[in-house]
Amino acid sequence: MKINWTIGGAQGSGIDTAANIFARALAKAGYYIYGNREYYSNIKGRHSYFSLTISDKRVRSISSYNDILVTYDAESIFHHFRASRGYVIYNKAVENVKLENIQSIEPEISDEIKHFLVEKGYGTTVADVIKYLNDKNVKTLKIEYDQIAKSIADELKMPLSVVERVKNIIGVAVSFRLLGLSDIYLMESVNEFFKNDYTLKINTLGIQKSFSIVSPAYNLSQLKINSHKILLDGNTAIALGKTVAGGRFQSYYPITPASDESVFLEAHNEVIARDKETGDIIKQPYLVIQAEDELAAVCMAIGSALTGTRASTSTSGPGFSLMAEAIGWAGMNEVPLVITYYMRGSPSTGMPTRSGQADLKFALNVSHGEFPRIVIASGDHLEAFYDSIWAFNLAERYQTPVIHLVEKTLANSFIIADEEEIDWNKIEIDRGKFIKKLDNNNIPYYRFKITTDGVSPRAPLGLINIIYNGEEHNERGDIREAKVIRDRMHEKRMKKLEVADEEIPEEKRVNVYGDSDSDIVILTWGSPKGAILDAIEELGINIQVIQIRMFNPFPRKLMKKLLNDKKMIIDIENNYTAQAASIIKEMIMVEPTHYILKWDGRPMTRDEILFGLKKLLNDKVKRVVL
Amino acid sequence: MSKIVYKPDWNDWCPGCGNFGILSAEEQAIQELGLDYNKVVIVSGIGCSGKLPHFTKLPVSIVHTLHGRAIPFGIGIKLSNPELEVIINGGDGDQLGIGAGAFVNAARRNVDITIIIHDNGVYGLTKGQASPTLPLGIKTKHIPRPNINNNLNPVTLALAAGYTFVARAYAYDVKHLKDIIKAAIRHKGSAVIDVLQPCPTYNDIYTKEWYEKRLVKLDWDPVVHDEKESTQKLLLAIQKSYDYENGIPIGIFYQNELVPTYEDRIALNLYNYKERPPAKQEIEDNGKPLTLISELIKLIRVS
Repeated sequence: MKINWTIGGAQGSGIDTAANIFARALAKAGYYIYGNREYYSNIKGRHSYFSLTISDKRVRSISSYNDILVTYDAESIFHHFRASRGYVIYNKAVENVKLENIQSIEPEISDEIKHFLVEKGYGTTVADVIKYLNDKNVKTLKIEYDQIAKSIADELKMPLSVVERVKNIIGVAVSFRLLGLSDIYLMESVNEFFKNDYTLKINTLGIQKSFSIVSPAYNLSQLKINSHKILLDGNTAIALGKTVAGGRFQSYYPITPASDESVFLEAHNEVIARDKETGDIIKQPYLVIQAEDELAAVCMAIGSALTGTRASTSTSGPGFSLMAEAIGWAGMNEVPLVITYYMRGSPSTGMPTRSGQADLKFALNVSHGEFPRIVIASGDHLEAFYDSIWAFNLAERYQTPVIHLVEKTLANSFIIADEEEIDWNKIEIDRGKFIKKLDNNNIPYYRFKITTDGVSPRAPLGLINIIYNGEEHNERGDIREAKVIRDRMHEKRMKKLEVADEEIPEEKRVNVYGDSDSDIVILTWGSPKGAILDAIEELGINIQVIQIRMFNPFPRKLMKKLLNDKKMIIDIENNYTAQAASIIKEMIMVEPTHYILKWDGRPMTRDEILFGLKKLLNDKVKRVVL
Repeated sequence: MSKIVYKPDWNDWCPGCGNFGILSAEEQAIQELGLDYNKVVIVSGIGCSGKLPHFTKLPVSIVHTLHGRAIPFGIGIKLSNPELEVIINGGDGDQLGIGAGAFVNAARRNVDITIIIHDNGVYGLTKGQASPTLPLGIKTKHIPRPNINNNLNPVTLALAAGYTFVARAYAYDVKHLKDIIKAAIRHKGSAVIDVLQPCPTYNDIYTKEWYEKRLVKLDWDPVVHDEKESTQKLLLAIQKSYDYENGIPIGIFYQNELVPTYEDRIALNLYNYKERPPAKQEIEDNGKPLTLISELIKLIRVS
């Protein structure tokens, strides 16, 4: 069972809060959710929306369609009516709004919608759209938001301006009622969300009044809840992972969609931990520094890492571009630096609040010269959590920068999951050759001592005199350009990647789903995974899905084995040039036979994947662009 | 590889370079203050000045960073382990050109670090191009045309940015410079010393002889003793930084320890920061985290 719910409205009008309250209430009733947030680079007024898929099982994607559409403004109706197939909730007050008169909509979008309506013989007001929907057997619910708000204001003797935001809860409550669920869950959710008495009263009344104006259309019932449920978005997943991993320094410069992670870390910077000596419960400070730019952010994190702190920075494309030089310094100086890279997908400013996977090759090649860098990519929220721990472990074990790739889609989407999916037993901390004391083997201490695996014992600044140096250097760190030194030191550093390749199980670098007997295999990475898995489940045919989780060092042997003799290899990515496919070609000389690509900045939906797969299978095309 | 006995690298600065004076003064300051060498970190930028820590005979730690980025490296180090003494050396091009953003913004924080600007008016290692402190119209011997840019005044800039210790010194007056470096290290907060420094190879205008005719030592009390006098003393210092009428003033222009350091500000908001700064924390026990995950999960629990 899957029900798709979308709420739209002007940015800053409370859409996020509404979606959050709704999701929490559904979680309390035992349901699982995947929710995605879309918004403009704008504070107030532009169209934003939240799409949720509700299911009785874990769900990993959103749909292209909505079964329930909640709107207050006219623009949201125009944006989403063609994707509606169940119920559309709209505001009586906007019935007469004409598409042409909406200022905030992009003119090209407006023209396209107008063309559609006119071609089908309809006018361009909201009322005309409602007629179109009714003709298509989509049910519409006209809500008198203003009147409900006024009645609440009168009842509570409050000014209407204070009560106005109740429209958010009305949309949510009407949806909840439509689903057939009891208002208890919604009340609980609202109670958790609003601490202020007035706000609570307003919202409680809003729920009561909404429940009286509609009757259930679905018959969802409360599901048995076996464990606590959590609501996890990508930014938070990574922040939690870094915290439990022992990350204690994060520097950043504000950028969408990365900063929410740093803000979460700062808001929860008094970390609860166990004292290693006494076992007492103590508070450990997590230092979060907002730098003046990404140049400073990455350099501060590197400086921190030199003191033995687990240090990281988070950014998006423009910031990562600025960090390039310092990442090379960290490679040269064998610094365990973690960079969480939230991809947005366009060059320059591009579409700063949208998503994409266009930076894989940039991450793999960032900064001049050769140095080892580990690049991992998470495919879902839980992976993002575990991978942020893994990133620190890899960084310290191989003493080199680790770039952790995620996308805006992961950052801003959330899941309702079972709490036990965060499994303490799966969490390990590996500090590699980090030393806190010196013994006879380490004196005199040379930071870049040649060893068999290329990794030298790493002491923190403050223990003894240590030399770090971005120029080529000898074992101690002195500036050297002699061939004999350069050859050996470069080899020493590069060797770490070979050792990593030997040590890290290839099974950990690739997720494989489905049957290996299948002739058809899908290759992907990052967030499209969820939509692909959900789509295949719906399609019900035997397709194996291979999700690459580590691009450097690349899991050559396993990938060769997996792709050997496959009739149809379908590469699915959120970019134009099929970057992962070209890495595969470079690494193992295997080329996909088919492609499904998308670069519009929006996440792949499971319906789009279904469309793409059917087109490839039925129409014999090689490449589908979504 | 053969074992190398601890000794500094061979010093490859040009004979007569002002950097020798700065190195010598810096070493003496560290020695006279009795600092624990293991806890001293010299962070440097790129250029002749960037090599300074490699040439010190003192067994201190060295972080030879990137062009213009020594300050953020130093801040990351200091904030993660406040017991370290962080001294930053960089040229005028390094700190006021490519690193101007970092230089100005560090002043807003007042982290307890010492910044030494090697101010010689040229980019030495790239063969003498004009740096941000070379005045307009000046043609040093290796630039093809007279300098087309105005110069900026490092002392004024540091004062305006909000540094809480600002001084000017001269590379060859080692004793005076040493005393100023000592005061800067002792200062609680971000200290800047603009060190005027001849470049005998590329700057044929501002030479040793040129400077030595013009330098005058400041004779005043630069210290803000009461918050009420801070603005007045700052304005006087700014005025003085431009005052070349009776020669080029060197000495401490301004010192204000009443401004809380960044570390103090963090400690106000972050319990335990001074006792357990990031570098002093234990984060794992036998491969398992010491951070308690249950507390974190409660934050996101919804049912």
